[in-house]
Amino acid sequence: MLIKPSINILVVDDDIAVMQKCRELLLNEGHWVRTAESVEEALDIIQRQPADADLILLSLEFAMDGSLTLIETLQKAMREPLIIGISTDCDEEAFEAIEAGAYDCIRRNFTDAGFWVKMNRALETYRLRRQLGVLKRERQAALTKSKVGHDENLMAILNSLTDGLIVTDWQANIVLFNKVAGRLFDLKEGKVLGKPVSECIASDELLSFLIRAVKADSSLATLMAGEEPVIRVGDKTLQTHVDPVMSEAGTVIGAVALCHDVTTVAAMDKLRSDFLSMVSHELKAPLSSLLMQISVVNDGLAGELTEKQSNLLSKAKEKTKGMITLVNDLLDYRRIQEGKSIQKIESLDLGEILERTIELMRPSAQDKHVTMTSKIVDGLPAFNGDRGGIQAIFINLISNAIKYTPTGGSVNVSLEEAGKDIRFKIVDNGMGISPDDLDRIFERFYRIKTEQTRSIAGSGLGLSIVKGIVDAHNGTVHVESKVGKGTTFIVSLPTQE
Amino acid sequence: MKRIVLVDDDADFCEATGLLLESKGYEVVFAHDGKEGLKKIRAEKPDLVILDVMMPEMNGYDVCVVLKEDEELSKIPVILLTAVDQAFFRTTYTKHMGLMTEADDYVAKPVGSEELVNRVESFLNRD
Repeated sequence: MLIKPSINILVVDDDIAVMQKCRELLLNEGHWVRTAESVEEALDIIQRQPADADLILLSLEFAMDGSLTLIETLQKAMREPLIIGISTDCDEEAFEAIEAGAYDCIRRNFTDAGFWVKMNRALETYRLRRQLGVLKRERQAALTKSKVGHDENLMAILNSLTDGLIVTDWQANIVLFNKVAGRLFDLKEGKVLGKPVSECIASDELLSFLIRAVKADSSLATLMAGEEPVIRVGDKTLQTHVDPVMSEAGTVIGAVALCHDVTTVAAMDKLRSDFLSMVSHELKAPLSSLLMQISVVNDGLAGELTEKQSNLLSKAKEKTKGMITLVNDLLDYRRIQEGKSIQKIESLDLGEILERTIELMRPSAQDKHVTMTSKIVDGLPAFNGDRGGIQAIFINLISNAIKYTPTGGSVNVSLEEAGKDIRFKIVDNGMGISPDDLDRIFERFYRIKTEQTRSIAGSGLGLSIVKGIVDAHNGTVHVESKVGKGTTFIVSLPTQE
Repeated sequence: MKRIVLVDDDADFCEATGLLLESKGYEVVFAHDGKEGLKKIRAEKPDLVILDVMMPEMNGYDVCVVLKEDEELSKIPVILLTAVDQAFFRTTYTKHMGLMTEADDYVAKPVGSEELVNRVESFLNRD
C-alpha cells in the first residue's frame, strides 16, 4: 500500500455528529485531525499552532457569525490553507464561500463515497501546492548570496577574471558580481545585491537578455544558450554572453552574464574598416581613370590605332576591369565577414532591381555576343531586404553566367513567385561545372581551373558573397550543372519571416 | 553645341572623359575642385554637370546642395560620380544621404565609357 504523508486537518463544526463523522473517516486514513466547535476555538488553535491546520473543514452555518470573514482571515493569517465548507444545501452560501477563498464545499449529509471524492481531490491539490512551494523555495535558496557569495576562494577566483561576471537568481535579482563587472556597470556591493537587475544595470539590451534567460523554461534554455549581444555601456563596448543557470534537476535557477570588454577591438575594427574603405577609394579612383583612358584610346579618340595596338589595349582593359572587380569583391566580402551584408532592410521591388541590373550587364553580354533574355513576372510581392545586397546577388550571378558562357551562347534570367518565396533563376548554356567543383564553388577564393577558365578574370569571391547575402536574408541558393551543357542557379528568397 | 561642366580632382580622368564626351559632340569645361566647379558652373550655365564626390576644397555633395538651392542653377541636371565605398559613405556622409535624391543621377566609379555616354545622352538628348 502506498503510504501518503498525513495531513493536518482541522474540522470546525458545532454539529457534533458531522464533526465526529469527518474525524473518524480522516483518522482512518491516517491523517491528523483536530476539532473545534466554534470559530473562536478554531482561531485559538490556529494562532497557537498554525501548522495544525493544512486543511480546514468549516461549517458554513457559522456564516451568520462571520464564516466568510473567517475564511478571509484564515487565508491571510496562514500559508494558504485549503478550506472546505460544510453546507446544508450547497447553494448560494457555498458559492459565496468559494468566492471568498474556500476551495470547495461538501453537503452536510454527505455519504462516505461523496466525502472521499471531494476530500481526495482537495488532498491532492494540497500536496501539489506544497510540492510547488518546496520547489519555489529550493529555487530561491539555490542561488543566493549566502551560498555563492560567501565562498572566499571562489570569490577570489571570480575577481581574478578579466571579464565581468553578473549572476542573478530566478527572479532576476543580482546575487553575485565580480570586480570587473562592478567597475563596468558601476555596481556597489551593499547597494545592488538582492536588487532586481533592472534597477542596477543601465543596458536595456543586456537586461532583456538576462530576463529572457531567467524566464526560459528548460527546453528554451538550451535553445537560447550562447546569445552574445554586443552592448555599449558608457564609452565601453562589451561583448556579452548570457546564459540561464540550470540546476541539476534541470530547472532554471538564475542567469549568468559574462561581459568581455572589446572597446579596443571595436576601435581597431572601425579603423581597419575605414582604412579599407580609404584604400578602396585610392585604388578605384586611379583604376577609373585608367579604364577611361584605355577606352578612349582604344576607341580611336586619340588617333588611329593599328589592329595589334587595339588588341593589346582590349586585353589591358579586361585586366583593369578584373582589378576593379577584385577591389569591389574584397570590400563586399569584408562587409559580409563583418556581418554587415544587410545594411538596411527596406521594402523592395525585386523585379525592378533585376531589370536595372540586366540593363547594367547588357553591354558586357553584347561585347561577348552572348544573348541575354529575361522573364520577370509582373506584380511580385514586395521583398524586405537590403537593396545593395540583392543587387550584388544579381550582378555576381549574371556576370558569372556571361563570363563562363562562350561567344554565341545564351543566358536566361527569370524571376517568379514560388510558394512563399520569390525565386530568381539564371540558366546558361555555358561550359558547366564538374561535380567535384560543384561542391566547392561557394568557398571563398575557390576558382575552377581548366583550360577554358584560365583567361577569365575573377577573385573567387563572387559566389561566397552571393551565399553570404542569401543566408543573411534566410534564403537558399541551389545549383545544377553539366559540363559542356550549362549551369542553372536558383536563389529562393522568403517573402515572410 | 551642348555644354558640360566636369568637376573632378583627377586630371587624368578629366582628360580622358573629356576626349570621350567631345567625340560625342559636346563641349566640355573642366574644374578640379568643388569651389572652382561652382565658379565655372555659374559662369558657363552648362546643360549638364558631372560632379565627383570626393574632392578637395568643397566636396561634390556640398556643391550639389548649393546648385539645387539656387533657383537659376537648380534646373541643370547633375550626375554625381564617386568611387567611395558605399558602406563608408553611409557612415561618413550620413548627413548627406538625403542628397542622393537631389542629384539627378548617381554613377559609381569606375564607369564604363558606354555607360557614361548613355547617362549623359539620357539628359541631353531629351528634346
